[in-house]
Amino acid sequence: MKRFAWPSLVISSLLAAALAAAETRPQYGGTLHVAMRAAPATLDPSDSTQTDSFTRRNLTLLIFETLLTTDSSGRMHPALALSWQAALGNQRWQFRLRRDVKFHDGTALTAEIAAASLRAANPSWKVFAEGDSVVIECETNDPEVPGELALPRNSIVKRNPDGKPSGTGPFHIVDWQPAKKLTLAAEENYWGGRPFLDAIEIEVGKNYHDQSIALELGRADLVEVAPEQVHRASIDGRHVSSSEPMELVALLFARDATTPEEKLLREALALSVERASMRSVLLQGAGQPAPSILPTWMSGYGFVFPAETDLPRARHLRDQVRGVTTWTIAYDSSDPIARLLAERVALNARDAGLSLQPAATPAADVRVVRIPLAAADPWIALANVGPVIGLPAPKINGGSAEDLYSAEQSLLATRRLIPLFHLPATYAAAGTLRNWKPGPDGSWSLADAWLENEKQ
Amino acid sequence: MPSAVYNLAIPNMLNCPLRSGSSPTAALRISFLVLGLAVGVYAADWNGPEQELARKVASVTGPGAVALTVENRSSLGRRDSAIITNGLRAALGAAGLRLVKPEQAAATVAISLSENPSSYVWVAEIRQGTNEPAAVMVSVPRPEGSLASHDSVPLSLRKIPLWSQEERILDVAALEENPTPTQIAVLDAKSVTVYRLQGGKWQQQQALNVTHARPWPRDLRGRLVPAADHLLDVYLPGVFCRSGTGTALALTCRESDDPWPLVVGSLIGGGANFPSFGAVSGSPSTIIAIRGFFAPTRNFFTGALTPGVGKFTTLSKYYSAAFVPREKYVLWLFASVDGQLHMVDGIGDVPARLSWNSNLASVRTSCGAGWQVLATSSNEQGESVRAYEFPDRDPVAVSAPIDLGGEVTTLWTEAKGDSAIAVVRNRETGSYEAFRLAIACNQ
Repeated sequence: MKRFAWPSLVISSLLAAALAAAETRPQYGGTLHVAMRAAPATLDPSDSTQTDSFTRRNLTLLIFETLLTTDSSGRMHPALALSWQAALGNQRWQFRLRRDVKFHDGTALTAEIAAASLRAANPSWKVFAEGDSVVIECETNDPEVPGELALPRNSIVKRNPDGKPSGTGPFHIVDWQPAKKLTLAAEENYWGGRPFLDAIEIEVGKNYHDQSIALELGRADLVEVAPEQVHRASIDGRHVSSSEPMELVALLFARDATTPEEKLLREALALSVERASMRSVLLQGAGQPAPSILPTWMSGYGFVFPAETDLPRARHLRDQVRGVTTWTIAYDSSDPIARLLAERVALNARDAGLSLQPAATPAADVRVVRIPLAAADPWIALANVGPVIGLPAPKINGGSAEDLYSAEQSLLATRRLIPLFHLPATYAAAGTLRNWKPGPDGSWSLADAWLENEKQ
Repeated sequence: MPSAVYNLAIPNMLNCPLRSGSSPTAALRISFLVLGLAVGVYAADWNGPEQELARKVASVTGPGAVALTVENRSSLGRRDSAIITNGLRAALGAAGLRLVKPEQAAATVAISLSENPSSYVWVAEIRQGTNEPAAVMVSVPRPEGSLASHDSVPLSLRKIPLWSQEERILDVAALEENPTPTQIAVLDAKSVTVYRLQGGKWQQQQALNVTHARPWPRDLRGRLVPAADHLLDVYLPGVFCRSGTGTALALTCRESDDPWPLVVGSLIGGGANFPSFGAVSGSPSTIIAIRGFFAPTRNFFTGALTPGVGKFTTLSKYYSAAFVPREKYVLWLFASVDGQLHMVDGIGDVPARLSWNSNLASVRTSCGAGWQVLATSSNEQGESVRAYEFPDRDPVAVSAPIDLGGEVTTLWTEAKGDSAIAVVRNRETGSYEAFRLAIACNQ
């Protein structure tokens, strides 16, 4: 008996879309090829000498893990710590560790190792092990401790005698060529479940152009997209996805304004900047004009800060000061958009009667900087901007939106920083990369991604 | 003594505040869907924040005439926005402010209904003469959302909410019907939890820990199978658990590569409420209690069957299986890992590429041809489920697709055979929702 004689199965008219590619559950296997612009020289999350970037954070979180994680709503979730509690008015925090977690070298995660890791990353903290818990004691009421622990720089690292750091994350290091290439393999016994991908190969230090070509030629599955290229990449049919605007582009003065006149001039500069036209021309519509440090999606009140250009007022302020000197404005020479922004700011300043001279020198009066905000939680993000720009963390007196607003106002009132834009982290991916998009905070979460049509 | 406990033994059962004291808390949203109840419209109480913002505005302006504008910059709907606007007007009036036209006003108050990820943020920008503008604001926790309804056509596929939780649900089993479930078991990665419906609310009766030595694979799957002589069998990758009997239940788990049932007891006959397996004629052809081996570290069946389908004891790896009894044979359908549907009748194995996704389940009903296959497909919002029949060898849709509001992570035939359990990851909330999918005949 021959039941099937179906050389060509005829499908019902109700299944007209039958030939469309069917979705499947996640598939295991395959190597993901990634190219990135940043070129970290070390994988140690707590190495503060390295420039912060989304790439560095994401590399960290492929290999290492934090005690807690936060989601896009600022909610805390267990990671290496299963539970946590505060005592003594948020001055003593206890984090009970997950059991049966092992580092990639086979060593069991212990409270002692976790405490040592946190002490190394935060020398001023009082951190110690207590049974199966890590305890952090603060001198004052500090409700932000869980949020701080969720930052990649506070990942738990076991530092081996040979200097190589070991983590507990979903991928382990196979090969690391600093500032060049990182090869990772899936950790078979990862407590959170083996990743779907077998391996990830990440080439770092690749400029946007090279990344784009690598994606085009099929040599990369995941690349970054320059802000000004996002629109074109979408038109070209690339699989483009972005985080929420998480990176602050700003003018950063090298030192405090020491006189009232200098403050007036800095305010005049802020009022002269034409963010809208910069966005439309230089950024090709990407990002959002930013008069504030925190983007509105994060704070809920960013629109309160005036973003409009006000040349008459800028000139009025400038005219109150005699003997204006020329400021030098510097930019990262490897960042083409930074140069264009610096030149445009100088042009705008001239319209207000100010003088800015673009220069690729590190000793400039003011720089165009890109500051990746530390977290999607606005309190954590704001608290971390201060130290990045060389100022103490702003004092936040409470947990209300108004308290946050006051703290942000006080940071802006220093006149050290003139926010320009908030940019998202944007990526283009091959069509075979599935179940992946960047988190609102720019995080990758590649442990859940998978490659289609890879041999099982 | 601790001042705040952030996690308890039962995860996601308490809020985990990011801040304490006067700080806003980001609430963990846990929704318990009561079976068979329509989801009501949330009636938010905006009164408190309206009054608080009005007080703050009045503290800046003092009593007098102000011009008010209200702009909605948030995801709040028009109705809520209008309610809040009216409430703000009343609250400002009660705070001593008189609302007038701009040309008559001593101050202008521009209120923006904004939001951030954890709360609504209402901001009032106040301008008085040549003074620097002032801004005051309040945070308002977000209310819970509501679920969308569904439509239907030829045979009607109905979804009945059973359970929702933040933790990934692997399966839900009805343990008692009266006539709707009054006792259910919910399987997740850590436990089997038994709930009973009492006074219109689900009360937890028992939580039985699932023990396992190896880490669970990603995209974890699991199946609950009610049994005749004890309450439940639990199938998980590389692990088999069996409940005890009696009122105080226990769950005994062991490492196991025992095959998982691909046919539920009632579809092959048998006795009791939830019959155990056997080969009984319940259809034109005999349905064999075929089982499939599940890969212990992956999310698919290995392809090995016991007993086989005719001459086939090994097929390509697959995610799910369904079957349709014929006059002389049973047509088996396997959703393969390679994205194809394999139709196996015991003699031939014919692959086809349909627009179906990875989840299939068989149901036997009193509608249409009597046997339907439920299959998932993609839509713009996530996944939908649709019922199909096989009058010949080609699937014919017999119901409208029913949108489940997200990605379907589980689709298993229920023990009584005439319905299926679908678990969906809600695309809006990220929580997991279990539904009973039942077919109703259109008269």
